Amino acid sequence: MTIFFSGLRKLVRRRATWLTLGLLAGMLVLIIVAVGASSNRAGASDREREVALSLVTFPAAYDEVLAFILGLGGLFAVIYGAAIAGSEWTWGTLKNAVARGGSRSQYVLFTFASVALLIAIGLLITFAVGVLAGLLGASLAGASTAGLGDSATLGRLPGQMARGALAVIMEGAIGFTIATLARSQLAGIAAGIGLYFGESFAALFLPDVVKFLPFNVATASVSTGSGTGGGFSGAQVAALEPNTALLLVIAWLVGALAVAALFTERAEISS
Amino acid sequence: MTATDGLALATRGLRKSYGSHAALAGLDLSVPTGKVYGFLGPNGAGKTTTMRLLTGLIRPDAGTMELLGKPFGRHDRHRLYDVGALIESPTFYPFLSGRQNLRELATSGAPVAKGRIEELLELTGLIDRARDPVSSYSLGMKQRLGIAGALLSDPSLLLLDEPANGLDPAGIVAMRETLRHLASIGKTVFVSSHLLGEMQQMADIVGIIAAGKLVREGPIDELLNSQSVVRVRVAPQDVARATAVLEKLVEHGGAPAADEAGWITVPTASDRSGEINQVLGTAGIWATGLESGTDLEQFFLELTGGEPVKGGEGTFFGLAGRPPQ
Repeated sequence: MTIFFSGLRKLVRRRATWLTLGLLAGMLVLIIVAVGASSNRAGASDREREVALSLVTFPAAYDEVLAFILGLGGLFAVIYGAAIAGSEWTWGTLKNAVARGGSRSQYVLFTFASVALLIAIGLLITFAVGVLAGLLGASLAGASTAGLGDSATLGRLPGQMARGALAVIMEGAIGFTIATLARSQLAGIAAGIGLYFGESFAALFLPDVVKFLPFNVATASVSTGSGTGGGFSGAQVAALEPNTALLLVIAWLVGALAVAALFTERAEISS
Repeated sequence: MTATDGLALATRGLRKSYGSHAALAGLDLSVPTGKVYGFLGPNGAGKTTTMRLLTGLIRPDAGTMELLGKPFGRHDRHRLYDVGALIESPTFYPFLSGRQNLRELATSGAPVAKGRIEELLELTGLIDRARDPVSSYSLGMKQRLGIAGALLSDPSLLLLDEPANGLDPAGIVAMRETLRHLASIGKTVFVSSHLLGEMQQMADIVGIIAAGKLVREGPIDELLNSQSVVRVRVAPQDVARATAVLEKLVEHGGAPAADEAGWITVPTASDRSGEINQVLGTAGIWATGLESGTDLEQFFLELTGGEPVKGGEGTFFGLAGRPPQ
């Protein structure tokens, strides 16, 4: 557990943590406020107005914010996970722990556990910021906020949030593992981003396969019912049933971490 | 009793290859407890590979290792709890301070005593900069922090890879004194270097490695005595006669050798320069110059192949003084 708390202390002091959170929350606020401010512009069709207002009209805004976090947040999680794992190799700090007799796999798993906790906390913070931005957007758009306390939505929100957190954590684990295999921060980030967009492009050709891949199962596991999202949208893939997708999220998470731990356990650390 | 009793570190037949390149070709090391062992070798000889093997960073292709009297293999990482190491250049989290880095390093491996971090920051002269981020440290400061990291758990065996890198003269003296002190209280210090002068002043025992094999191992005094020489200069017309006269004073093999400037090198104990002067005087030959010392550098070059390693630091020798071959 000392490695876990050490990981938390390091992450909290790290600029990448605050930069990732700030960028995600900042983009969310910008988009929602911009939509709220421009929803009543002259020339917009009723359909355009309806779609724009769904971002700032509660309770639908809850799902929209969550969908945005799962989309763009997933990409940020991949980058963040890759940055943390890759830096251990790039800076040579993993070497220090191993040379002191520390367990390699424990080091990797507890380090990721600290990353996972921060991702979950980041998701909560971003969601809260998104809801506040939605209120601001609603005020700018002159939309009602009566649905803010919708009991049916609020009742399922914790479950959706938990699924969302697990999905984003899994995406972080994918980045973490890629950077571990690449033994490099930059290579890990680049490969993680490539995989994220590659999966969307691959959906054009192999939709039946792609629906089982990490980023698609992450989206399917939450099933907010929203199509807006914040991430990159490639071809439409027939989504898996949420519970099946959730099982696959867990499988990808466990698989990714097992690969990272096993690779680190067997790796020759020569830099 | 076994062959490795009383040894803090021992390797037998240690082999490691990177592709077709054999970095270690059957290394046998015997490092006695409570000594400073200088592990000497030119760049690329296998020093860092040995250090990595001894800290479990990489695994041998063949051979055995013992740390503090017990076998050290793939599943024996706990042996490293009593070992402190600085391998290659020191590595830290650049965004953390020196103190924070030591604190986080202490979370893995053996437990660290309360107050130890402050004690080490004081010892390495970093206490005033302990709150600054490591990214603002000079190479020498990082090196000192690396040494502090190696000493964190007060280990019985210290493995230091080129610890003098980047240190200023005062830092080198302080490090030497610290390592000598550690040996005096029973710790074992295994320190690799390619700096002969540094080892001459610090080590009790040296092992010289070349092309992945140990080519010489023994107490530094014995090694120095075996390589001590007296050089005497005589008039050009007396060189042949003086060389013949001095032959009887040769101590450890070889023969007096003269160069074009009239200097004759006699392989003998360095405290015999007076005697040499007297013998020459008795023969009616007057020395115009006399000096004594140890030609460890020549010996090192002979043992390690006699030529600088291609692509290594020694490559520059050719540029500085000698015409290209």
